[in-house]
Amino acid sequence: MDRRKFLKTGGRFLAATPFACDLLVASVASASGPGAGRWGMVIDLRRCPEGCDACVKACRRENNVAEHGDPRWDVHWIRQVEIRPHGQEDAPTRTVPLLCNHCERPPCAQVCPVRATYQRDDGIVIVDHHRCIGCRYCLIACPYNARFFNYRENEAWPNKDYPKRSHGVAESCHLCAHRLDQGRLPACMEACRDAGAGAIVVGDLDNPESEISRLIAANSVKRIREDLGTGPKVHYIGL
Amino acid sequence: MEILYQPLDGRSRGYYALLTVLLAFVAAGFAATFYLVVHGLHNSGMTNRIPWGLQIVMAIFYIGLSAGSLVVSGLYGIFGKLEYKPFARLAAFLAMLFLVAGLLSIVTDQGRIDRVFVEPFSHVNPSSMFSINPALYMGHIMICIFYLWALFKEKGRLTKVASVVVVLWALCVHTGTGAIFAFTPRELYNTALLPPSFVAAALSSGAALMIIVLTSLFRVTKRHLDMALVIWLGRLLAVFIVVALYVILIENAHRFYQIESREATTYYLFKGYHAWLFWGGLIGVGSVVPAVLLFRRRTGTSVRWIVFASALVVVGVVCERYLIVLPGLEYPPELLPGMEIVRSALDEGIVAYVISPLEILQALGVLSLIGFIFVLGLKYLPLLPTEARAHGESQMLKHLIAEAKAESAEKATGSSV
Amino acid sequence: MSGDRKSPLDGNLVKVVFPLLVILAPLGLSVIGAVSAGDPGAEEPFLELPPEPNEGCVRDAEFMRFHHWELLREVRDQVVRGGGRHEISLDRCRSCHPSRERFCSRCHEAVSLQPDCFGCHYYPADPAAAVDHARAGR
Repeated sequence: MDRRKFLKTGGRFLAATPFACDLLVASVASASGPGAGRWGMVIDLRRCPEGCDACVKACRRENNVAEHGDPRWDVHWIRQVEIRPHGQEDAPTRTVPLLCNHCERPPCAQVCPVRATYQRDDGIVIVDHHRCIGCRYCLIACPYNARFFNYRENEAWPNKDYPKRSHGVAESCHLCAHRLDQGRLPACMEACRDAGAGAIVVGDLDNPESEISRLIAANSVKRIREDLGTGPKVHYIGL
Repeated sequence: MEILYQPLDGRSRGYYALLTVLLAFVAAGFAATFYLVVHGLHNSGMTNRIPWGLQIVMAIFYIGLSAGSLVVSGLYGIFGKLEYKPFARLAAFLAMLFLVAGLLSIVTDQGRIDRVFVEPFSHVNPSSMFSINPALYMGHIMICIFYLWALFKEKGRLTKVASVVVVLWALCVHTGTGAIFAFTPRELYNTALLPPSFVAAALSSGAALMIIVLTSLFRVTKRHLDMALVIWLGRLLAVFIVVALYVILIENAHRFYQIESREATTYYLFKGYHAWLFWGGLIGVGSVVPAVLLFRRRTGTSVRWIVFASALVVVGVVCERYLIVLPGLEYPPELLPGMEIVRSALDEGIVAYVISPLEILQALGVLSLIGFIFVLGLKYLPLLPTEARAHGESQMLKHLIAEAKAESAEKATGSSV
Repeated sequence: MSGDRKSPLDGNLVKVVFPLLVILAPLGLSVIGAVSAGDPGAEEPFLELPPEPNEGCVRDAEFMRFHHWELLREVRDQVVRGGGRHEISLDRCRSCHPSRERFCSRCHEAVSLQPDCFGCHYYPADPAAAVDHARAGR
């Protein structure tokens, strides 16, 4: 066996040892990936108009999120819930968009047996759909009901530039990581701006000069279920 | 005293009929799984709010059964109870099969079965209970095989060492299985008592199943089984039931006392069908009735009653396993404290799980597969002893039997006079 | 075999061999199928070449023929796990090879491979659809 052939086989053997590679990747992971800042979101509920669902529609269109017309299997990366104070039947209701909070310490990534769900260096919690085995443990672990499973095949494919998902894998909002990586804004934020509301702002939480940091500094913000210690990164103004 | 093992002859029409029926169920289960894999899990009863269903319930039930069987097997290896040696091989074999069944139930529940045999091995996540447990299960199966080998080869010392290792490992396996639920932030899952209560119920269900299997096997194959042995196993079962009952009651009292989980526990214990499953199935039929039956002298010394009580225990533990998995999912996590959700695109309130026929077929298929292997094992492996006679401490129980007989005879004559 | 213990194999050759045959038959058939598919007499799959003035290939044809899937997998992991878009994407393949049927499927079918890339990633089998998409999308 000559040297070249030996190296080639050796290389292939290494490549065929994903576990070894995984350990390697894990040790150098902090150096890879777009490490620019730490993405977060602010939703200003005071500017969120009644009856508007631009963000939900835009998200569905952009990310090919499945809608079958059955609440049992519909997937919602962002969904609107109407709430009112507990036990007050005649109190006015308010609409709150709920989505993945991209936790600092995501329980879904903690329980994923194959590390298909993981946290990027910029804080986005994302699913590698090529690796997900569909065990649905992340749906169990998420305290926000923000994880969804593709129970049936999604036939609609509005945005051909972004892949859809086969049935049998779990998914949730990825803060339009594919757009952020290209320097574009997430679909929901863009749609919210276009609708004239501008209630959704996505930006770098580490940069004190960013719009999101200034909004958080200037207003009283609330995060959902902070008491759980997951460190949610979606901030609500006026909740 | 030497124990002779004689496998089943296995040439009767009944034997082949049994194998055929089991195989038919396996085929049905395979077909159901195939259908779910190809067409999607929406054909099961699971939804976005109920991501786990019958398969997970059955998985933890099987894994529990495995522990109890091992304890019966370990009576000889660990506690040196020589009179229980005839059961050691059978029990160890069953323990291994139940673990296989548990693993199989979990595997057939995955959304992408094609990746199950690749990804978990190439990408391990040590912080996930779902990553740790398969390693524990695989290890357990290996150790069981080693233990069985030691039993088959009659390696005295090795058997003892192996049985200690296998029981300790089983403890890890069951703690790990309980931790799948206990380590998640859901109101009804998040309790450190779940793993111990899991182990306790595992012991009682396993011992109960062993009693049923042993008595029926010895009867069907017309082999001698001393009553005293069964009665002693029944007493052991009674102790297991009481321990399990104690842990379950403490667990729920604690949940109920804690203000943050009181609402969820009220729903779980007193509302809907869970209340029936809990008070009727688990506490009543599954624990109190069999415990009373086993502790009473007349019923506790009759093999028929002991087998009946064991069957009740198994039913109770199935209820318990169901109650571990599903109420915690059906009750919604509190997203916005102090607020109620009036309208949403997702079912945000309490939702119900409806078991689908396909899931039942899957569960029957897994059970039939291990039943099939077990029946084959009886023929091709030296598992079945020719007889099981009491000669140790349980000999003393014969007094009890005699006394009970005398008592009932006295009553009979008393009433006739 | 000596002794009074009878091996289950003794005298039961038919009983053992027949079920084995039944179990292994699908495997054998698939092997036969694969061998006949690789028959040198069979027609070689025709792959459409890109139109002459092209932007240049990702790698040379020989490398791509044997390692494109490794390359794609590598790039996939880089993009999905590492983040950031990469120079190689299906879009770039598509710009020169518009038809999936004539570029990917024929070869995959010839070697009976069924990669599930295209259930989720857009690569139309029919180039006319691709043109439509390009017109509508950009």
